[in-house]
Amino acid sequence: MLLFRNSMRQLLRMRGRAILFLLLLILASGLCGIGRAFLIINHAKMEAYEDSFMTIGTVEQKADQVEERMIWDAEDKDYHIYNDSVYNAYVPLSVLDFEGADYLSGPERRCLYGSYMPEYEMYDMGMSLSEIVEGSPVEDVVPDHPVSFQVTRVLIGQGGVREGHVINFCDHYNSKPEKLYADKTYVMSLTYSPGHENQKAFEGDTPSEYIPFPVLGSTQVDAEGKKVPDEVEDDHFCDEVTEGFYDSPIGRRWLNIIATWDNLRHTFPVTGTNDINLMMAFYNGNAFISQGREFTEEEYTRGDRVCLVSEVFAQRERLAIGDELPLALQYANYRRTAGRAFATNTAAAFTLINARGEIYPVFEEGNYKIVGMYGGQSGLRDEYGLGYNEIIIPSRSVKNSDADNILESGPMAGSNTSFRIENGTIDEFMEKWSKLQIPNVEITFYDGGYSELEANINNMKYIARLLLVMGMSMVFMVLGYFSWLFILKQKERTAVERCLGFRKTHSFFSLFSGIFLLILVGSVCGSLAGSFLSGEIAGRIEKKTYYDKTFGNSMGTDAGEMTGESFAPEDPIKAAAECTLAIVAAGTVIAASGIYVNLRKEPMKLLAGRDE
Amino acid sequence: MEVLRAEHVSYSYQSKYQKVEAVKDVSCAFEKGKFYAIVGESGSGKSTFLSLLAGLDQPCEGTIYVEGEPLSGMDRDAYRLNRAAVVYQAFHLFPLLTAQENVMLPLECKKKRKKEAGRQAQRILQRVGLESRIYRQFPKMMSGGEQQRVAIARAVAAGGEIILADEPTGNLDSGNEKNVVALLKELAHEDGYTVIVITHNRRVADETDHVFRMKDGRMEQVR
Repeated sequence: MLLFRNSMRQLLRMRGRAILFLLLLILASGLCGIGRAFLIINHAKMEAYEDSFMTIGTVEQKADQVEERMIWDAEDKDYHIYNDSVYNAYVPLSVLDFEGADYLSGPERRCLYGSYMPEYEMYDMGMSLSEIVEGSPVEDVVPDHPVSFQVTRVLIGQGGVREGHVINFCDHYNSKPEKLYADKTYVMSLTYSPGHENQKAFEGDTPSEYIPFPVLGSTQVDAEGKKVPDEVEDDHFCDEVTEGFYDSPIGRRWLNIIATWDNLRHTFPVTGTNDINLMMAFYNGNAFISQGREFTEEEYTRGDRVCLVSEVFAQRERLAIGDELPLALQYANYRRTAGRAFATNTAAAFTLINARGEIYPVFEEGNYKIVGMYGGQSGLRDEYGLGYNEIIIPSRSVKNSDADNILESGPMAGSNTSFRIENGTIDEFMEKWSKLQIPNVEITFYDGGYSELEANINNMKYIARLLLVMGMSMVFMVLGYFSWLFILKQKERTAVERCLGFRKTHSFFSLFSGIFLLILVGSVCGSLAGSFLSGEIAGRIEKKTYYDKTFGNSMGTDAGEMTGESFAPEDPIKAAAECTLAIVAAGTVIAASGIYVNLRKEPMKLLAGRDE
Repeated sequence: MEVLRAEHVSYSYQSKYQKVEAVKDVSCAFEKGKFYAIVGESGSGKSTFLSLLAGLDQPCEGTIYVEGEPLSGMDRDAYRLNRAAVVYQAFHLFPLLTAQENVMLPLECKKKRKKEAGRQAQRILQRVGLESRIYRQFPKMMSGGEQQRVAIARAVAAGGEIILADEPTGNLDSGNEKNVVALLKELAHEDGYTVIVITHNRRVADETDHVFRMKDGRMEQVR
């Protein structure tokens, strides 16, 4: 106590120097504190962001060429030119398995399956069907303009056409329509066309009409995506009904089509995936798990029979987590997503019969346990979105081959092909990818603003390191200078104390204790001030960033939770403590070294300034 | 009564360029209540010998006895704290402590309470002839003579029986020199201290009871 009092007494009598030392040390510690706290805050932010952000890439094969297609328009009495994308060959998904591609979730090409479940009904099928009717024209006529057609029987329909109705029928897009005879009965698939741009061409007629909707030809393709040959042409929409017609192969095909359309109300879209976050709807937050949970890694890997269902569907069918759905997969569609096919105002664009004219047989069957339900938007006619009543399953749970059940195929598209990589590795990935020089394959990355945020945080880290280095340099300079002033220059004091009989330890503490207290006070004050200041600054920067539009909608909430307030109270204290410890340790070492230099010498030699 | 005795004491050290034999085979004895002077030219080894007597360094050869006990076997810090005090030509007071605080320091080191140490320090300062106005002054506010008196008071406060003074009047004018020498003489003769003074000054040496001369590290008794 005496030594401390004596030390402080002498130190405080050098008031100017002591205050200057304290102020400089507070300033230097403050810089260190700001730097260290910024580093900690930024590190914590990056860790938090790593969990909140994810980077996915979508893959799209571009067309090799564009071909013009001329289509007759009965209204304009002219051909219209349409462009069709032509792909010489579909690029396989395997091109994405290249050396150095470090995926968190490997590339997947999601398939849309159809599962027939007669016990459940689509509450909103989305997909609009056409009408299959029997009837005859009122007179013998070539339907190159709207002609009157009397419906005698509705085989299946949407309710728009009834038996006995006379409708306007026009083989609108056929430049050479076949003549229809009033004394014959025809079965045809029609769709309602609500009007045309140039009604003058149909002067005197009603603007609306029914037009052919060819559904009889199968769209089936093989595993390579090539169309399976079908004797029925794609544009076949009409047949004459004669005695025993429905017992003929073409007649049975009509009946099969009718049956599949009937079943369609019980055929649910099912999508297989290896990571639901690869599905854009989940990635961008338009869909989210509202009850239960996502699939686990093990469920994905093992291909467990588990599923996620829409909460609306579950509510309607009184399904709960843990219930099982008897999925029976009938077809596989590699071209469309449920978001595009099972959406409002979407016409059924594919037939559900194979090239033999038969209903696709079930190729995969099993009970899938509901582990979670999702909420959010669906059926928005967005190929990146979810379809009505879409059921999601792990891809690997489909064990059997779907090769004979593929009703459509197409190139890799952004909506069905994606992968996930580590945040912040887009450039690295693209560098490796571009070396492969794969033509016509375009990768688009989505990272929710991570890249920009990372750049900002890296800048802040750089500033933090700079402040830390400046602060540390200043701390060392201040400690060095004042150690020289308070200790090395005090060798006379040390010598006299030793001559008076002070032991070396007493002499040590006589000098050290006062300086130690100043270092402690200075570093605590400076570090705390610096850390809290940095917390405050970081908080403000955070709030600004929150409103930055670089954040996706889904990230806004998370980022909000990670504003400065969540980092500031805790971490700056930790940063201040670390800084204080480091400065006190450095100060102790520097001061103790200086004192040791003096104590090492015999007092008389110190006084005489004589070196041995 | 013999207080200090040196027997065949030698001391050498290695300077930057050569080995320096500062003290060569010195034998002498110092008695209680006597005032001694060690004279000699600069570099003759006087100060080195004094530091050996103070236990600030150890002889390379020979032994120094304190009341018959070898100094080498003693706790030398405790020896300086309790038995031998050193006074310097340059005073070497703590510049940031007042006169009283300088004197109090060795007392407080001996676990005296602050108040008691203060009172005793004042008595000692009075004893060395300093006015009370000096007590609260810092060394740089005092004259050389006053500083040296404070230094002597600090040595006295240590409470030992030996005062070792290295050129105590070297920085003083003749008036102050006389006063300081008189004080040291009093301390020897009246208070029973063994006072050993190193000096160049004949006038100072003349005031002492015995004189030793050192030349080239060797010592002889002159008187």
